[in-house]
Amino acid sequence: MRERWVACLRAAAYLLGALPTVFPGMSNRHRRRAARLLGVPAPVVHRKARRLRTDPAARREALWWLVHLVIGPPLALLTVLCVGNIPAALVAMTLWWAFPSDEPVTLLWGGVPVDGWGVALTVGPTQALALSALALWGLPPLARAHARLCLAMLSPTPAERLAERVEVLTRTRAEAVGAHGAELRRIERDLHDGVQARLVAVAMRLGLARESLTDVPGGAAGLVEEAHAGVEEAMAELRGVIRTIYPPILADRGLTGAMAALAARSGVPVTVHTGDLGQLPAAVETVAYFVVTEALANTTRHGRATQAEVRLTRTGDRLAVEVRDDGAGGADERRGTGIAGLRRRVLALDGTFRLTSPAGGPTVIRVELPCAS
Amino acid sequence: MRVVIAEDNVLLASGLELLLAAKGFQVCAVAGDAPGLLAAVDEHRPDVVIVDVRLPPSFRDEGIRAALEARRRHDGLPVLVLSQYVEREYAGELLSDGRGGIGYLLKDRIGRVGEFVDAVRRVAAGGTAMDPEVISQLLVRRDEDPVSALTPRERQVLALMAEGHDNTAIGERLAITHNAVHKHVGNIFAKLGLSPDDRGHRRVLAVLTYLDRGR
Repeated sequence: MRERWVACLRAAAYLLGALPTVFPGMSNRHRRRAARLLGVPAPVVHRKARRLRTDPAARREALWWLVHLVIGPPLALLTVLCVGNIPAALVAMTLWWAFPSDEPVTLLWGGVPVDGWGVALTVGPTQALALSALALWGLPPLARAHARLCLAMLSPTPAERLAERVEVLTRTRAEAVGAHGAELRRIERDLHDGVQARLVAVAMRLGLARESLTDVPGGAAGLVEEAHAGVEEAMAELRGVIRTIYPPILADRGLTGAMAALAARSGVPVTVHTGDLGQLPAAVETVAYFVVTEALANTTRHGRATQAEVRLTRTGDRLAVEVRDDGAGGADERRGTGIAGLRRRVLALDGTFRLTSPAGGPTVIRVELPCAS
Repeated sequence: MRVVIAEDNVLLASGLELLLAAKGFQVCAVAGDAPGLLAAVDEHRPDVVIVDVRLPPSFRDEGIRAALEARRRHDGLPVLVLSQYVEREYAGELLSDGRGGIGYLLKDRIGRVGEFVDAVRRVAAGGTAMDPEVISQLLVRRDEDPVSALTPRERQVLALMAEGHDNTAIGERLAITHNAVHKHVGNIFAKLGLSPDDRGHRRVLAVLTYLDRGR
């Protein structure tokens, strides 16, 4: 019984709250109140523009406001009449004699004047009990119905929720890509200034030590020589690793300069066309660089090509990378891991990858990468 | 021999200074950035300049630009550029003025003290010192290339020529006689259709230009 009373009071409070919330623009409050009453999490709505024409959420809120305007105040009034008349009945049935006799207190909404204990003790308890019953069993379902209607009208549809989710994921992914790129640059710079420099310094000293050890008998010279060779291998390996993390030429010359450098070291003559690429996230530059590196390497290795063409174009927030050669074609993605690895790197950035290589050529690799910055 | 160094990494700068001093060079100044280098060159008129590619403020390719600027200002001042990685593109830019006295080496090579000092002297004397990695980038060729018609030994000789070594040094490296080197060089020039009269830096440039053609 106690829970029922609590439920009744909460329902009454909820329904009375319909009055101060009849003003427009309080949809968030409606959602919160309704969700609290129903014990469910409040739906989260990301509003883009409060424009009725473009934002379905704004349209729904306007419609709900109208509905609430029509049903909210009557429900609040009903609650007042129902709950308010319970104490009124108690007052009338016990204190009827204190009212002036020409203006007696009434029961049943003015229908029955209370002018004696007989009426007071029959109609009074009847009204109190009937209204209590109504409040206890009637108000909670009414309030819940209102709250459910409210949530149904103010929650985003599954399609909208999906669209919102996609939007959020796209944004966070772009942020992650940006952070990833910044991290790549930092690692390259740290290795360059730190480990690489230290290895060079060690190699220098070992080199000097070797020179002064030439006339020393015993194994020391041999050990120093081995150490020197080891350091040289470490430097070469580290250089290779850095190239796969973030090619230093990108840090030094940007994507356009790096393309020129790639063309210069390619085995076949390469023409590079780059438009105005603007600012690109480092991760996007890196993947574009590896796409061209791998494509040109394949061109040199297998394609029997005499020339290749690299084209970089940026349209809005998409970077298109196209590498075309005049070779024999017939490149197969399933052979070798290079192309498959490229595709993975491209897809990780939400890009698209297309390889066309009919027998007889030409081989064209086209990659598009989103690069919203 | 008087040297100016441009290297912002204190560890490497002091290492280089130590090494060069031990080998009888006189290090006049160590600059930390490009303007510092140009000022030091103006002041000391060194015989050779050793420059790191990455210098402050942006740590990109300031060293290359500073080197080219110093060469413009001081009539082909010998410059040896050092880097943690080599790009054939940079080599092309450094060689583009067609004058001798240019070097481009990985920092790794400093540890081979004898060879490094030899490279510094060669550059100071107007010769060339190209990193073997640059040369191997240049030697990536397709099958029908005349370079692929060279014997393995001739390719070795070609690479050493492109790095900037003269016949004596090539002979020492490959442990073959001067005559043998001479014969290989003749064969290479014949197969590639180069003029056999070129000597010194002109020969290096001819070889590099040949390897660079069509790009």
